[in-house]
Amino acid sequence: MALISDKDRETIRSRFDESLTGDVEIIMFTERESPIIIPGKEPCETCAQTQELLDEVASLSDKLTLTVHEISAAKDEAQAHGIDRVPAFVFKGASRGQVRFFGIPSGYEFSALIADLIDVSNGTTDLSEETRKYLSELTEDINIKVFTTPT
Amino acid sequence: MAVESQYVTADVIEAMELPDLSRRYAVRGVPKIVIHETTEFVGALPEAQYLAQVKAAVETNGKKQ
Repeated sequence: MALISDKDRETIRSRFDESLTGDVEIIMFTERESPIIIPGKEPCETCAQTQELLDEVASLSDKLTLTVHEISAAKDEAQAHGIDRVPAFVFKGASRGQVRFFGIPSGYEFSALIADLIDVSNGTTDLSEETRKYLSELTEDINIKVFTTPT
Repeated sequence: MAVESQYVTADVIEAMELPDLSRRYAVRGVPKIVIHETTEFVGALPEAQYLAQVKAAVETNGKKQ
């Protein structure tokens, strides 16, 4: 069964049609289910579902592609994006900085995911001129963490 | 903000799924925002206040260096 309902799928598809201008690659890091149970190592509970969800999102526009890396086999790539846990994903598009998601993007995070994809595709935001001016004048790195829950 | 500046990295973190990070940043309510490890607040803020928090974080960080 699809994770995104038919109704939501149509809403998102038309929003993507209207708003996406540039291509965005969603780069996901995952961990395949291991047939071996390793003591002290928790299996990734949401990896498969996150991949399924991103796959469904990517299928809603020609401008979106999904690339999936097994984290143990793509250490350099993961490190380049500062990713050390799974599931996690980043967007590659017209964004100047980097947007990273850790954990399954359900609930509120899902709408943030759709909105962020649109911003990254366009390389623009609806932030005020004052905010954009401040950001354009930054000369040092800033990290912003936003903690959310599924509900 | 990350879309607008090459210097900004924005992390969206699922708090329940990543309890180690939630503990480290003492997350008790969401959305909780932590800027630059130094400045934090809970709840959505109007953009102008959000920007003020970012500026404060950048300033605090500048003083430390």
